[in-house]
Amino acid sequence: MVMLIGCDNSSLVIDKLCDEAGEGDAAVMCFYFDFAARNEQSPVNMLGSLLRQFVSGLKKIPEAIVRDFQKQKTGTGGRGLQVLGIMKMFQAITTTRRTFICVDALDECVPEHRAVILESLRQILRESPNTRLFMTGRPQVRSEVEKRLDGAAAFISIRPTEDGVIRYLQDKLRKDTTPEIMSSTLEAEIMKTIPEMNSETYVETSAREKLP
Amino acid sequence: MSRVFSNNNNSFIIANTFNYSALDDESKILAWLSPLEPWVRHRDIGAERVDGIGAWLLETEEFRRWHNAPREDESNRATLFCDGNPGVGKSYIM
Repeated sequence: MVMLIGCDNSSLVIDKLCDEAGEGDAAVMCFYFDFAARNEQSPVNMLGSLLRQFVSGLKKIPEAIVRDFQKQKTGTGGRGLQVLGIMKMFQAITTTRRTFICVDALDECVPEHRAVILESLRQILRESPNTRLFMTGRPQVRSEVEKRLDGAAAFISIRPTEDGVIRYLQDKLRKDTTPEIMSSTLEAEIMKTIPEMNSETYVETSAREKLP
Repeated sequence: MSRVFSNNNNSFIIANTFNYSALDDESKILAWLSPLEPWVRHRDIGAERVDGIGAWLLETEEFRRWHNAPREDESNRATLFCDGNPGVGKSYIM
């Protein structure tokens, strides 16, 4: 089994993980933080969403989850779900399977939620050694990630490459909805100037980073 | 089930009701776990991504170590965090 969220036409890393998952027994789950949806993206909903994706990929919903669901139906009001409950369900079913959790835009998660979510993910990683976590975010949350995950994280800085910018521009020009007003001179100018601007930005950024 | 009820005119109705109820319960349980639908954003990103951009990341030592780490090898870092400024394409790389 594999697929949890739809591997066709995915983003780069998820594509790669899905290729691998297709050959084995791995599971891939993902989540996208969005500041505009900050109220709905609470820790219980976010962690529940990961669990939901995992459960959706199983042939049958595990008994423990069905039981908890039945129990809350007899309770009074609300969904009756809490982070602790989600974590218990999570750990009960993910300990043996190789699992990849991908989380985008961690900086768009409000700080109060982020603290709970990172702590929960840390626990999942500790309890399930087969789990791997991939996250993206702006540089300002990097030190928080390092601290909350006990330094057990590796980091890569994403910067646009010249090849990437050229590919991006070519794609945009190909999909231009008004090609009749694009001249070959302007197109050549775009393809020359913008990649150069990008490399200047890169040099400036690198220089700034070296300052104390 | 169909064998047991083979002489019963209502057998198909019974079977259908049972299946509907099981599926209905399943979708209720999934919705109970979380009302969020991250696959909507996931689909949009997949549709917009330009092939090949950011492929360098998959060749880095950090990614390989994170991705290929043997199971239960605690000496390996289980988390890989990619940071970048707004607009560099982090969501498409994930």
